Amino acid sequence: MKWFKKMSLLAAASLVAVSTLVGSASAASGLSGKITINGSTALLPLTLQAAKEFQKLNPKVRIAASGKGSVTGPQAVKKGIADIGACDWDASMDVPGFKAFDGQVANKVAVIPFATIVNKNVKVNNLTTEQLKGIYSGKITNWKEVGGDNADIVVITRAFGSGTRVNYQAKALGGGDIVKKDKNYKEVGSSGDMKTAVATTPNAIGYIDLVYVNSDVKAVSFNGVAPTTDNVINGTYKIWAYGYYMTKGQPTGATKAFIEYVQSPKFQQGSLKKLKFIPISAMR
Amino acid sequence: MTPTAQSRKMQGSLAYNKLATAAFYGLGALVLLLIVWLLLTILGKGLPGLTLDFLTKVPEDIDPGGGIGPVLFNSFYILFLSLVVSIPIGVGAGIYMAEYAPENKLTEVLRICVESLSSVPSIVFGMLGLAIFAEYFQIGLTILGGAVSLAFLNLPMLARVTEEAVRAVPHDVKNASYALGMTRFQCIRTVVLPIALQGIITGICLVAGRAFGESAVILLTAGLSTSGEMWDFNLFAPGETLAVHLWYVQSEAIVEDAASIAQRSAAVLVVVVLLINLLFRIPLWINNRKLKR
Amino acid sequence: MSISARPTMPDKSGSLAKPADGRFGRYVRARFADRLFKYYFLFSILALCFVLGLVIFFIGKTALLTFAHISLADFFLSFDWTPENESFGAAGIIVNTLSLTALTLAMAVPVAVGMAVLIAEIAPKWLRNMMRPVLDLLVGIPSIVYGYLGLTVLIPVLRRMSGENLGDGLLAAALVLALMVLPTICRISDEAISMVPKKYREAAYALGSTRLQVTMRVVIPAAGRGIVAAVIMGMTRAIGETMAVVMVIGNTAQLATTLFTPASVLTSNIVMQISNVEFDTTWNYALHMMALLLLAISFLLILLIRYLGRKGSDQT
Repeated sequence: MKWFKKMSLLAAASLVAVSTLVGSASAASGLSGKITINGSTALLPLTLQAAKEFQKLNPKVRIAASGKGSVTGPQAVKKGIADIGACDWDASMDVPGFKAFDGQVANKVAVIPFATIVNKNVKVNNLTTEQLKGIYSGKITNWKEVGGDNADIVVITRAFGSGTRVNYQAKALGGGDIVKKDKNYKEVGSSGDMKTAVATTPNAIGYIDLVYVNSDVKAVSFNGVAPTTDNVINGTYKIWAYGYYMTKGQPTGATKAFIEYVQSPKFQQGSLKKLKFIPISAMR
Repeated sequence: MTPTAQSRKMQGSLAYNKLATAAFYGLGALVLLLIVWLLLTILGKGLPGLTLDFLTKVPEDIDPGGGIGPVLFNSFYILFLSLVVSIPIGVGAGIYMAEYAPENKLTEVLRICVESLSSVPSIVFGMLGLAIFAEYFQIGLTILGGAVSLAFLNLPMLARVTEEAVRAVPHDVKNASYALGMTRFQCIRTVVLPIALQGIITGICLVAGRAFGESAVILLTAGLSTSGEMWDFNLFAPGETLAVHLWYVQSEAIVEDAASIAQRSAAVLVVVVLLINLLFRIPLWINNRKLKR
Repeated sequence: MSISARPTMPDKSGSLAKPADGRFGRYVRARFADRLFKYYFLFSILALCFVLGLVIFFIGKTALLTFAHISLADFFLSFDWTPENESFGAAGIIVNTLSLTALTLAMAVPVAVGMAVLIAEIAPKWLRNMMRPVLDLLVGIPSIVYGYLGLTVLIPVLRRMSGENLGDGLLAAALVLALMVLPTICRISDEAISMVPKKYREAAYALGSTRLQVTMRVVIPAAGRGIVAAVIMGMTRAIGETMAVVMVIGNTAQLATTLFTPASVLTSNIVMQISNVEFDTTWNYALHMMALLLLAISFLLILLIRYLGRKGSDQT
């Protein structure tokens, strides 16, 4: 029982220490405040990197970031539990499946390209909009119908409402449906799971942010155009979208400064490019 | 029954007994093999790349070579805080159920409540924590919120295990202490708890191990970022833990050595759980030795 | 030691006011501590129930809004879950949850209890001391690691063995879950078996029983209560587990007719979709309803296991 007592004593002592620390943390001049960011997981690497750099420049600003799903972003902003809602589409306008969030301002922060990926055993190198529509609507079920081997197509997709899926459906499938099938169909919860699932499942097809594509999977061309950053910038590769930071009205204070930092040429041309996103200025 | 029939039956029983013993050992060997394989897979991939640097450095999003320093610290900090909240209440509830609760329908309902609580998926506790701390108290994603939400998750398991352990204390020991004129609480403190300690500590180990690896709750309540420095005791700082970081590098991180970071983080998690088990058992061993003397 | 307090009769007639006699003061203190801690323990259990109440209130208030938009029959009897087209039939998912739980327990309980018997009754001391921490270690492996290994190691094996294209489904999920709940069930049963008083065993041995007979007819029935508790703890963990299941079950809302049909269960469905729905939609309400349902299902299963456990112990 002594051990028990010691534990509780230690706990009490540390709590006291902690509360005094908290007390002394506030005060001092300069830009200060607390920014909470929630929303899209696809934008998380960018947000985390930006937060780290921004906090170095403004030590008084405290940034807490988390990610769950695109729609969580604008929703959290609406509820007031986040200052910035990261979202893979412009949530101030209607998109298929989601209504506009009134009174929110969409701040473009990056260009996100997406790619169609297949398992490395698949021989197909190019798919057209019509072929992709056929595959995802369940009309094409065998790879030989699109010029590959005689094997069932295993469709791997993200859950309805995922930012990646919303954009892929709009840009690659021309708004076409992704239909659930009873077999050879699987939904995954994150980009990492998507990559792992496609990489380990023979004859699988999926889609993912271009950033994640590496030698484990094969990215196929879309309507004859290879998914590369250059092709996005020169306008030939069409599957891409802006990433947005949603705010309640025009951003102010620390939030404004943070968004401005993310949009600044220094960040856009530096870290953002290194993270393999495309600077927004490149698309103008 | 003739003597021969009886002895034949005896022999049958003996044969069965041997067979069963062999079967139990076989089962044990299989499970152990499975566990060893599992650990080798996790540790084998992760341990070789483990350096002190990795354990203390700040995570990176662009350049390879990032570490897990702050998230590892947050893991311990949140685990500690959640245990501070949950052990007194969980153990207290277990003692009540075992020692004080009258044998009636109400007690039965209480017990089922405790068990039902343990089936609540962790994500629901996360959502609850988000509603309480981020929406109601407006403090955002914090270590405090994460720790308290995690404590909710720990409670039912602690209560249940404590109840079992306390109930298993032999009645004669308790009766002896009552005969000496002890009050109920004196009896619990000086007789029941020391005997039940082993069971309770098993429970705490299980709970601590699970809490250390929990990601869904923390992701929702303490966030995915750290304050960017080591040794930040601030209760209101965002508190990404190692398990959450593992989830993040496995599912969304872009940095090229993400896979290796994930493997190493998983290895660290397993090693830490092993250490927690050892750490909690040390007082127990000392206690046992004292009792023997 | 504080045993020296003498068994005097409790005196409630205002004697609290004069702490003259040292021994008597100690007695008063002991009475006071006794009272205090009784209320504290009561408070603890009530706090636990309060948390449960909080969960039910928090989920329930959103969940019940479901039925403002769709009928009870639509939710519970329809097998069609396509929320994007306003069909909220959860029947298939509920059935999947029950089959997954049953399958998991069918695999995990015999192995776990067998292991517990081995550890507590048969194994020599060194083996016992080694196996217990090793099993505890399994609990600490994060569920996403289980999920990841399931996805990258188990599923390819299942795919090869079954000839399926995907391999995801109830079987993969049940195997992963069984491994995850194994230590929970095993360690709590082990604890219960170890606590069976020695004299029971000695009496049985004295009657000439073999170890198997002692174990099966004396020890396990005597530890029955604890084993039932262990099974319940294992089951509730299996039912509430999310992160690992999501990675291996396939997440397709349909009735699992075979072991390899990509399917979804209540938890995986909640976790996959909750992050992608808006707050004020029937879809969100229905997901909360599923969480509430999960509680109700585990409540019923606990009652069932308790009933079976009681029946089992009555027979012996």
